[in-house]
Amino acid sequence: MQSNKLGWFLLAPTLVVLFFFGVIPFFYVVWLAFHQWNPFAVNPEIVFNGAANFRQLVFDQGFLASLGVTIAFVFFAVTTELIIGYALAQAFMRDFPGKAFFRTIHTLPLIMAPIIVGSIWKLMTTPSIGIIPQFLDNWFGYDLNIGQSALAAFTVTVIMDVWHWTPLVTLTMIAALVSLPPDPFEQAQIDGANKRQIFWHITLPMIRPAILATVFIRLMDALRTVDEVLMLTGGGPGSATRYLGVHIFKEVFPKTNYGYGSAVSVIVLYLTIVVCWLLFVALIAPRNKKG
Amino acid sequence: MANVAIRDVIKRYGSVQVMHGVDVDIEDGEFVVLVGPSGCGKSTLLRMIAGLEAISGGEIRIGDRLVNDVPPKERDIAMVFQSYALYPHKTVAENIGFPLKMAKRPKAEIAEKVNYAADILDLTKYLDRYPKALSGGQRQRVAMGRAIVRDPQVFLFDEPLSNLDAKLRVTMRVEIKELHQRLGTTIVYVTHDQIEAMTMADKIVVMRDGRVEQIGAPLDLYDDPRNVFVAGFIGSPSMNFIHGTIAGGTQGRVFRSHEGLELPLPPTAAVEGQEVTYGIRPEHISVGEGGIPVKVVVVEPTGSETQVFARSGKNLIDAIVKERIRARPGEEIGFRIDAADVRLFDRKTEQRI
Repeated sequence: MQSNKLGWFLLAPTLVVLFFFGVIPFFYVVWLAFHQWNPFAVNPEIVFNGAANFRQLVFDQGFLASLGVTIAFVFFAVTTELIIGYALAQAFMRDFPGKAFFRTIHTLPLIMAPIIVGSIWKLMTTPSIGIIPQFLDNWFGYDLNIGQSALAAFTVTVIMDVWHWTPLVTLTMIAALVSLPPDPFEQAQIDGANKRQIFWHITLPMIRPAILATVFIRLMDALRTVDEVLMLTGGGPGSATRYLGVHIFKEVFPKTNYGYGSAVSVIVLYLTIVVCWLLFVALIAPRNKKG
Repeated sequence: MANVAIRDVIKRYGSVQVMHGVDVDIEDGEFVVLVGPSGCGKSTLLRMIAGLEAISGGEIRIGDRLVNDVPPKERDIAMVFQSYALYPHKTVAENIGFPLKMAKRPKAEIAEKVNYAADILDLTKYLDRYPKALSGGQRQRVAMGRAIVRDPQVFLFDEPLSNLDAKLRVTMRVEIKELHQRLGTTIVYVTHDQIEAMTMADKIVVMRDGRVEQIGAPLDLYDDPRNVFVAGFIGSPSMNFIHGTIAGGTQGRVFRSHEGLELPLPPTAAVEGQEVTYGIRPEHISVGEGGIPVKVVVVEPTGSETQVFARSGKNLIDAIVKERIRARPGEEIGFRIDAADVRLFDRKTEQRI
């Protein structure tokens, strides 16, 4: 009984903070999603409008386009991060001179604030002053202009996300690989498996939980990417890189459309949960059920 | 099935040499046990046969093929690890069938062989289970099943029973031996447990510090140990060793310990005054009148036999007798030794005289 009280006492500060900064805003957003609210308009009242925000959302071409590019962005970014992250992790499993140095260096992007990352990439990709367009032009005669080409802008945002977040994937993959028991791998060699077969039949299934956890983290993060992209492209050209986070930001802040923005937020949250749940069901649940 | 020839095999880790020219011949169909204390190189030698560890010198042949640089997957061997090394994400059937799947055998053939192995090992009921839902003994059998389906030239076992409890170990010992009799495949088996070695092997290789101390049939090693190490390692409880010299007595030569204890000698080439180690197995000592007088320290009855620890001077001597002894600690009894059971070793070289 004593220890129980002590436990609550120690938890209390966290619970209070979580309540005010997590729980209340969450329900507030859900509540707002069913209201119309433009606090800076002539009529700043919060007016209940039922599911009107959601009805508007379904027919909103801006939202649907945003959803489409977001899915493409998340898919390409997270897939690339997984592949490069795994390859780097495998590289860091071997011994080579300067390994500790390179491993430390390669995690540096992780400690940078997204807004800084966005600024740096903007500097590097701005035509006429950026280093990247300069080199692409000198070497390949390719004219990179993320202010004009939708595909270029999209690609650069994906590369920026990959640059920023691959080290996280590498770190979790290293952790997963290090914790693998060596015996099944030696056994597989004796059982006649070649390197490719060992990867598909042994390594991949054994680190599947870690991969999935990493995908969840990266998926949730990538789905709500705002500042980097806002800084780099501002969602453009047109709405080529107007990802959901950017879309919500633009609805809520410049347009001060708080009710509608809340509705989009709720949908994004719902989407995130559904995607993660689907992944979980597809990849982890069947194995547990059989076991 | 094949013989295995190990010739002058050397292993170095950097500048440290851990294996110093090991020679072992393993006949086709033989059950060979590598035994020795931990760190003696027995597991390293097994891993070198498997190809998991590179050899720094010498050669290893499986059948007639030199396999020094052949990767494990092409050596046609099967191995059972101490940890069983089951694939945790695969069912029992998938685990057993894995080598066949890697060899791209047809599905029907895989199913047939898996069922055959499961039948032999009594695993049919568990084919759909995952390793985590099996007991230690069952996991052990899955690992063996995975080896059986290969129908390899050689089976390698790396301390396969060490993780099992004592009772199960005895059962599995019998099962492995039975399996060997049924399949007739060459087996190389590593253990630190000399009882396992004695009970299972056709031939035992005793190793110490990266060298082979002696190779022979279990009873040959028991009867004719080449040196003090083998004499002490084989047999349980271990042989009694008493240090002393050869002395001339009134009725011919005797062994005289440093405390003056006189013990009978077998015919020997040892010369008078030579420093020797006198070895006698506990089970070769009997208790009776007219023996060497000793003071009882501890009596341990186990029912079928009685183990008596007794002291003569500084020497603690261990005897195992069939009769039930009712001596109390401190009481004086007589230990009788038949000179024919005595093994003499040179004190310095520790080699048999």
